[in-house]
Amino acid sequence: MPDILPRRRLLLASATTLPLLLAAAGCRSSDVFTGPDPLAGKPQPAPDVVTLQTVIAAEENMVKLYRAAISGDSGTARARQLAPLLAQHQQHLTRLRARLVVPAGTASASPAPSASAASKAPAKVSTAQLRTAERASATNLVKQLAAVEPALAQLFASIAACDATHVIALGG
Amino acid sequence: MTGTGTIGAVPALQAALAAEQAAVFGYGVAGAHLSGSKLAAAEQYWTGHNEARDALAAMISKLGASPVAAQAFYQLPFAAHDATSAMALAAYLEDGVTRAYLGIVAVASARLRNFGAQAMQGPAARAAYWRGSTEAFPGLAASARLP
Repeated sequence: MPDILPRRRLLLASATTLPLLLAAAGCRSSDVFTGPDPLAGKPQPAPDVVTLQTVIAAEENMVKLYRAAISGDSGTARARQLAPLLAQHQQHLTRLRARLVVPAGTASASPAPSASAASKAPAKVSTAQLRTAERASATNLVKQLAAVEPALAQLFASIAACDATHVIALGG
Repeated sequence: MTGTGTIGAVPALQAALAAEQAAVFGYGVAGAHLSGSKLAAAEQYWTGHNEARDALAAMISKLGASPVAAQAFYQLPFAAHDATSAMALAAYLEDGVTRAYLGIVAVASARLRNFGAQAMQGPAARAAYWRGSTEAFPGLAASARLP
């Protein structure tokens, strides 16, 4: 037991002197948090997250639009033509959603006005409406490229190119 | 690599130029096995690739670099011996051009990103034409398939 005492004294001495040394050096534990209090309120999503959420909402609307178009024409040649295009939009959605993990309690970003306005697909969807939606989607995706990191920009550009091929497949 | 995951503008443009040059060569091979509307399409696309090649070379020169020179001969991934294999070759070439333009989307410049994204839509559409179907992720997927 006698050898414990010097260690205990050393420990006590350290516990006493360490805060003094840190204070002398101008260090405080609160200096770790240089930004806003991380525990104050719900965290807001970063701008690129908002962009991704908007793109996801727009892609969800595209899927709804195709489903509405197909359900009104099930079994027809038009439905068979649209089915692979719908499948590709579903692949887009899967890939986009995989890029976003929103922590529980995070404030959700509002979808873009155009996306929320189109959230309810009309009962009857014409091929011309699909074409217009595809063209608008391609344009909107390209507009978002500067707001996101390179890999996500490439995903947006690839989806935009797919949408452009859909315009042609739909007779555009 | 420069910046946070971005690539340099000149290497990305050079890659697109090289892909356009390969397409110009490859369409010459594919076109020999096509006829009618398919041949007309191949000729139109060949002209488009020539124009794109010249435009890219001018952009690279404007950035102070020397455009890569075209090769005298390109090793094609498979032989074109009939219309079916010629169309598969054309789709392969367009996939390569699509992928190269997608590379430009990773540069830092917003204008060049926009350019790359717009420019890849043409080859993606042409690849879909030759293949007879669209793809979910032009330029991203392992779309440079051999027949």
